[in-house]
Amino acid sequence: MSLEMTSELESKYHSKLKGDSLMILGMLALLIGVETFVIGKVLSATWEISSGFSYLYIVFVGLVVGIEAIGCLRVRDSIRNHMFEFRYYD
Amino acid sequence: MSEESASLVKTLRPFHVWALGVGIVLVGEYMGWNFTVAKGGILGALLAMLVAGTMYVIISLCASELGSATKLAGGPYDWARLFVGPGAAASVGLAVYMEYIALEAADAIVVASIASAIFPELQVFPITLLVIALLTFINYRGVVAALTLNFFLTMTAFIAIIMFFFATVFGVVNIHPEYLFEGAIPHGMIGLFAALQFGPWFYLGIEGAAMCAEECKHPSRAVPLGQQAGMITLLIGAAMTLYLCAVLIPTDMLGVSVYPLFEAAQNSGVFFFIAFLGLGTFLTCLASANGCVCDSSRSWFALSRDNYVSSWFSAVHPKYNTPYRAVIFTMPVAIGFAFSGFLDQVITFSIASGLLCYVMIPFSLIRFRTLFPETSSKIRPFVGPLQPYIAYLAIALALTILSTLFWGYKYNLIFAFVFYGIAYFYFSYKQKNSTAENNWVSMGWPEPRGSPKARVSKEVNGIEFGNDE
Repeated sequence: MSLEMTSELESKYHSKLKGDSLMILGMLALLIGVETFVIGKVLSATWEISSGFSYLYIVFVGLVVGIEAIGCLRVRDSIRNHMFEFRYYD
Repeated sequence: MSEESASLVKTLRPFHVWALGVGIVLVGEYMGWNFTVAKGGILGALLAMLVAGTMYVIISLCASELGSATKLAGGPYDWARLFVGPGAAASVGLAVYMEYIALEAADAIVVASIASAIFPELQVFPITLLVIALLTFINYRGVVAALTLNFFLTMTAFIAIIMFFFATVFGVVNIHPEYLFEGAIPHGMIGLFAALQFGPWFYLGIEGAAMCAEECKHPSRAVPLGQQAGMITLLIGAAMTLYLCAVLIPTDMLGVSVYPLFEAAQNSGVFFFIAFLGLGTFLTCLASANGCVCDSSRSWFALSRDNYVSSWFSAVHPKYNTPYRAVIFTMPVAIGFAFSGFLDQVITFSIASGLLCYVMIPFSLIRFRTLFPETSSKIRPFVGPLQPYIAYLAIALALTILSTLFWGYKYNLIFAFVFYGIAYFYFSYKQKNSTAENNWVSMGWPEPRGSPKARVSKEVNGIEFGNDE
């Protein structure tokens, strides 16, 4: 009975973790899509002027998206590692 | 329950953290950010958005790590107190207080101005007082109610931006792509640099999300998840806002617009979006003021709890479990700021205060990692990536943005340096005679690396080890 409850709890935890992971992934996908669209539109419309320093935009958008993506993956790992210890989903 | 035994209630969840952070900041996407366009054109605004975005992504990661580790209400103040020192802590605590209380005053005036524009028989002065009093009362009654309200206000305002953006992308709204080229870079390369000073408007205050850590049910999950979700929301909102306004408002008008998103909706000619973005502007100001009452009161409460200001403010309400005296005290200060007659100066002071925090938060993280290198779940349940390298990058970006305030706000910057310099030396002197020490044991932490007690403990262990041999 106790084993059944544990596996039930475990599956509940994994399903909740999947929910958190999907939310993070969905938001990251939207972020990458919107950033690419907006920067692409602005740079292509102003290419005659911005071509000389367009690398500035590429570097900083890379930093924003790259650091945020790695940060979000770390958040997911942290939740996965501590979810049973701190009983996140009770 | 007496006031002495009462403590802050631990009920908040990740969506409350999101609501607190995004609620405070989203107003900056509805108004204020467009001054970047006046300085540097569309390309300047885009660069300011990305540079400030990089800094805030790092600050958010630092705040997530520090907030989930310390689990204290003071946020940047408590991090500086624990890992830097009393003078820096008091300066940061005051900076956070000033940053949020000045924003609250500005938000309340905008809410009153919008209400007065819709109903001309209403006057700005009494409505501003009413808004400040109402939000103070909601925060007095309980943090859950205040932040649940913030969640709905903020979500509505954010959905308005998303719907308007996708309608524009899919051709429902007629756009003017030629505006992008016409106003690309009106003041040359120097404009690109000068535009950085208004970049923080897109994200100013997001670090405040971590200030509800002490009231979270599971801070080690709620703070990092809510904070990072909030940061992504703002990055998405910032890019959408910039695009919408840039293709719907001519650049020379965009740079001086008071409500740029609402104006973009008006230019679209679609009634639904005009009404929705108008409502969004109103709601986001309310949400921002509400979040500011929450965060400024927590900062004052934390300062009071450690006797930096009168300990009278550190009382917790026996029934509602809120720092009610600190909450009520936000009211006269916000009213004073609102009717000082120098609101633009107050807002600039708020930005300068915020930038001081953006230097101190990554510095606190660097010190935290030096003092407590262990990564056990008790000390550091969330370990941020690429540290301490990105913390140094955030400090460099904050100092660069701070330096751009010299274009037009030289005296505000000097005043801020003098104000926080005096605070630093005054509180360092005041705390020098204090015997109070950080009680690491009560936090369940070991003594920090390099402290006298840690050295004694190490020596004792060494002797015991030697004896065993």
